Amino acid sequence: MISALHAIALNGGAPRVIHGARIEHVCGNPGLTPEMDQAHARQIVLTACAAIQTAVTGPTLFEP
Amino acid sequence: MAEAVRVFHFVNQFFAGLGGEELANAAVQRRDGSVGSGRALQQALGEHGTIVGTVIGGDNYMNEQRAEALSAVRAAIQHWRPSVVAAGPAFAAGRYGVACGEVCRVATQLGVPAVAAMHPENPAVQLFGKEMLAVPTGQSAAGMQPALAALARLVLKLGNGQQAGSSEEDGYIGRGIRVPGRRALPAHCRAVAMLHAKLHGELFTTELPIHPTEAVTPAEPIADLSQMTLALITTGGLVPKGNPDRLNAAASRVWYRYSIDGLDSLTASDWDCVHRGFYTAIVKENPNYILPLHVVRQLEREHLIGRVYPWFFSTSGVGTPDSYARPIGQQMAAELEQAEVDAALLVAT
Amino acid sequence: MKLQVGTFPVQDVVFGEATRWRDGVLEIHADGLLAEIRRDARILNAELHLLRPRERVRLVNVRDVIEPRVKVDGPGVCYPGICGRPNTTVGEGRTHRLSGLAVAESADTVLYEGNDGWLDRWLDMYGPVAEVAPSGKLLNLALILTIETRLVAQERSDAAHRAALDLCDRLARTTIGLAPPEERTYQLPTSGSSLPRVVYIVCLRSPQHYSGSLSASWVGIYGMTRLTPPWLLHPNELLDGAISGPASSHSATTSWVMTNNPIVDDLYRGHGVDHDFAGVIAIRTRWTAQEEKDLTAYQAAKLARLLGAAGAIISYDAGGNDFMEVMLTVQACERLGIKTVLLTGESPPESEGLPLLMSLPEADAVVSTGCGRPGREALEIPAAERVLGGPELFATSDRPAERIPADSPMNFHRWTDLFGLGTTSSFEY
Repeated sequence: MISALHAIALNGGAPRVIHGARIEHVCGNPGLTPEMDQAHARQIVLTACAAIQTAVTGPTLFEP
Repeated sequence: MAEAVRVFHFVNQFFAGLGGEELANAAVQRRDGSVGSGRALQQALGEHGTIVGTVIGGDNYMNEQRAEALSAVRAAIQHWRPSVVAAGPAFAAGRYGVACGEVCRVATQLGVPAVAAMHPENPAVQLFGKEMLAVPTGQSAAGMQPALAALARLVLKLGNGQQAGSSEEDGYIGRGIRVPGRRALPAHCRAVAMLHAKLHGELFTTELPIHPTEAVTPAEPIADLSQMTLALITTGGLVPKGNPDRLNAAASRVWYRYSIDGLDSLTASDWDCVHRGFYTAIVKENPNYILPLHVVRQLEREHLIGRVYPWFFSTSGVGTPDSYARPIGQQMAAELEQAEVDAALLVAT
Repeated sequence: MKLQVGTFPVQDVVFGEATRWRDGVLEIHADGLLAEIRRDARILNAELHLLRPRERVRLVNVRDVIEPRVKVDGPGVCYPGICGRPNTTVGEGRTHRLSGLAVAESADTVLYEGNDGWLDRWLDMYGPVAEVAPSGKLLNLALILTIETRLVAQERSDAAHRAALDLCDRLARTTIGLAPPEERTYQLPTSGSSLPRVVYIVCLRSPQHYSGSLSASWVGIYGMTRLTPPWLLHPNELLDGAISGPASSHSATTSWVMTNNPIVDDLYRGHGVDHDFAGVIAIRTRWTAQEEKDLTAYQAAKLARLLGAAGAIISYDAGGNDFMEVMLTVQACERLGIKTVLLTGESPPESEGLPLLMSLPEADAVVSTGCGRPGREALEIPAAERVLGGPELFATSDRPAERIPADSPMNFHRWTDLFGLGTTSSFEY
């Protein structure tokens, strides 16, 4: 799960939570140039991929 | 004078006075009247209740020979025809607590009210959840007397044909079942009174016990992502322009799948966001913020991931009760499993 | 800070040739008052209607319910800072109030453009809603306004609320020079005692997120509605209306509730007896990044600690992710050794989930105002015989485009008791 308000995702029991940016732009940052924005989004998704490869025992937060 | 309530009691080998761990494999035995700590329970019941029979079950036997054990318990309950079944106190003993829960379940199946006693952190409490009525005790038998007093009170109430009141009223461990009602004083008075009690270290009862959320078993990790099929899901209310399926802005009971086959990215002209729980203007300009298709396609092209499932799933997750969310999740998972999808990215808002 | 509040009870309202208060009767010269209101070019039409308890009347498009209060002596004005009013610090001197009466502001104009800015509030003078909501027991003077539509939302909202506040001022000013039948002094002398110090932490939704604006119309603190760090307020400031403003949802506070806040009242009464009332901390909720939610909680708890608080009562006025700040504040206080009591509503049992959106073990002392009904059955709200303020209501805010006729019967009500005024609660089984 990618969430900007990750405390609630973790509290709800989601095992793999990736720290998103802000609720109004979870995967990215419109304040950056389009290239940097996409790189930011890529970093978030790559973190999600790393999480998929990681064994977890309970709700775990992954930071991009 | 009312007739004494007929009580059936379940104890383990230790509290029956038979022995300790070495007798944990003892098979289920019946005895007339009360046995071991049951005698103290009988005292607590006074003349209002009579323990007509006791079943003793070894901790391991109850756990490992479950079918035979419960069959014997069932037969014993049917033999004595009690008005109520009492199990424990098990204190912090996990196997004993679980056995008590099983006994209570059997009793309930036979239409006999049942109540156990154990420490609130006994694993049986979580395990049996809303099913089991249990009076709280301390960690060890040092708290036997107060535990029995509390147990006896509820045993007599149930044995007399009454329903259990609230956990506050009848002194049992709250099971997370919430029932609306009224209290004597307005909430603001109660808040100040509760604060004073808490500040002075006095006993108080919270009106809303905190229960842990349901544990989710994590899926096994995937080692090789280059073979992985990845699905994309959002609870951000992402819909095709015009919201053709009329997805609710909140508390949706349904979800929709939309094709992303051949799409490299999500554009503002083709998609919209109807979620009413956050400021959506930025996402409307660039829907990839709540479904990062542009990046996922990149990873697909680079063979860092195998393939992207050609549909994304969408619903509006705000003010959504569990009763709606649970089936939505189950349905989504069922489809993904059927389609042999390996993993999913769920973007929440 | 010492505040003397003089209360002028209003037992009846009559329409007449002058606007004055005498012996519990408020006489209103409607034409004169409306003429003053219409001087604002943004207001196309204004009407005054008196709504009495138990009348089968429903007022819709309710933006706020306000108790007329006016400063007679001391700095500032009541309801400071909002709608361009002076924002000098209040809470000292003398204030006069009309009790038993409120101005109910009604205008069909959104609070702001954006989610939850649409107006979803109504007021019944009859039935189960009147029994629980405080407005059901007041004489409500409904000010129904039609606002020029060719203005931006904030201007329209400002026009409506300013008109309501101006009306409140004029009504309250009728008491100037008169001796109040009731008087109370609000002061928190330091007792130097060993009584435990307690704070009231009030959590208020900011409209900044949904509106995308730093100055959207909503419940303000000295008129400020944007996301701001925690405020330290003297309770007297609340009595003078420092927290006030219009809002669109049933759970949001009304200005009336904030100036008659029962928790503030209780803590005041117990000051020097059971505890020392150390102050009020106001936080804004609905920050949009986890770090910001965490920060506001840490800082609120820190303020409480700097005030020497041993205990805190925490209330809030909006659900959704706003509740995260509330829970995080409970947690932050408890971790600093400040004992908390949380006052909260809960999800109804048919939602089949946990009663609270977020559950942290630190919230071990909770007072529940329940799920909006006092029993297992759904609430039955009978149809209104008379409707004022508009022809339609929201059927449900889950589908904002759907409306129902305003006089419809309903089997729910969206008024949530978040300040503990009522006895509705829930029990654990």
